[in-house]
Amino acid sequence: MRRGLAVLLLAAAQVAQAFSDAEVRAIAGHGPWPPAFKADPSNRVSGNKEAIDLGERLFFERRLSSNGEHSCSRCHLPERNWTDGEARARGLALTDRNTPSLNNVRLHRWFGWDGAHDSLWSQAIRPILDAKEMGSSAAQVAKLVREDADYACRYRKVFGTPVLDDDKVLVDVAKALAAFQETVMSARTPFDEFRDALVKGDKAGIAKYPESAQRGLQIFIGKGSCNICHVGPAFTNGEFHDTGIAFFIEPGRVDPGRHEGIKKVLSSPYNLLGKYSDDMARSSATGTRHVVLEHRNFGEFKTPSLRNLALTAPYMHNGRLATLRDVVDHYSNISPDRLHSDGEAILKPLKLSDRETRDLVAFLESLQDGGGNYKRKAFAADCR
Amino acid sequence: MRAGLLLAFLAPAALACELPGGAAQQVKSAATTVVYRTPALKVGEHFAVEFAVCPAPESVRVDAWMPEHRHGMNYKPSVVALGAGRYRADGLMFHMGGRWEFVFEVRSGGKTERLAHSVRLE
Repeated sequence: MRRGLAVLLLAAAQVAQAFSDAEVRAIAGHGPWPPAFKADPSNRVSGNKEAIDLGERLFFERRLSSNGEHSCSRCHLPERNWTDGEARARGLALTDRNTPSLNNVRLHRWFGWDGAHDSLWSQAIRPILDAKEMGSSAAQVAKLVREDADYACRYRKVFGTPVLDDDKVLVDVAKALAAFQETVMSARTPFDEFRDALVKGDKAGIAKYPESAQRGLQIFIGKGSCNICHVGPAFTNGEFHDTGIAFFIEPGRVDPGRHEGIKKVLSSPYNLLGKYSDDMARSSATGTRHVVLEHRNFGEFKTPSLRNLALTAPYMHNGRLATLRDVVDHYSNISPDRLHSDGEAILKPLKLSDRETRDLVAFLESLQDGGGNYKRKAFAADCR
Repeated sequence: MRAGLLLAFLAPAALACELPGGAAQQVKSAATTVVYRTPALKVGEHFAVEFAVCPAPESVRVDAWMPEHRHGMNYKPSVVALGAGRYRADGLMFHMGGRWEFVFEVRSGGKTERLAHSVRLE
């Protein structure tokens, strides 16, 4: 028994020694998890319990769509880690992009693959109005909230006013939807347990993390340099990159990505510099005020978070890669010729061996909490 | 003699290029000195730069880029003059770890001078 314990501690010490001080600092930077809640200053009902409840009801509400069949939850299924498992989302028609998971969405700076929105609430407006998604209108949304007694009651309680101007109601509905989506957070993962153990010097805790995942983590922060873009506790820098994925949607039609996203956010009446933001000081609008459009933005897409990645296949902005192994192979064999000549000089083929690829996948899989934390509710129309 | 003494007395103060509040980074050329200060830098967080340019220029611009990665920031900073050769630049963000280079483009006497200073962000 004593000998067994000694062997275990020795093994733990050997594992701990496998990480240099610089590597430990890099790993520590991916936590702690979960982060503390910070209310969105541009949304006056952010963190408001009644707004969260209203937003949750609206998230599953099919009457928000023009044909009464589509809701936010049609593509963002809680059971599928808030995505749909399809390569490209399908609402009223097939769209051009993969449905991003809503997990940890409140931590983002820009929203959508192209960052065409600068707040969670303005992002929530887009699918409601998009002809390919829910195909609705401000008038239809306001009519629902005005004529459904339960929604009208809840709206009045949350926003303190009766249902009046259609555009204002649309924005308020989006703010309630955002308040709910802010609560969608992934839980702690095997990686988080390891990271905390490493920071504390808890050798027994360190030893519980599979060796393959540890080797994969070393590739992630070392040879792979994946952490250049996948930084911080959410494993994303929240910015945009050309990763060599073809941006042709079909012959003759391209997805301009961030290039169009910047134009859209700057011209949107719902951006953080506009009249609908509740942040009077505009302290949350620094990015919108200073973002700059460059030619290299063409074909750039947002760095996704890697938390619960294993539950969100298929991958990339157009769902082109089916498995995590395919994603790692993409970066392992990437052709520099596929990247913009005037773009970033970051990506080079990693040329990983089969074992290195399996290790990197094992690490990425250790970033999942198992999913299924959300339980659907039966909503009673009981607002008084 | 009296004028010479007065000049000698004033010269150090007139040449000193500093920011109130102490420690700052310094970048120098033969003609120009820039001192600047940032908060603790973090990947993916907007920050402001306080800086002074000596002698006070006609205009100054601030930018930053990653020489090895061959790209700049995704944001264009705005510079506000605070008077007496002091400025504040807002809206900067380093969206990746690695070596960044601050670039101060100082325009004086009809000429533009470029002063650069490297920082490493983990």
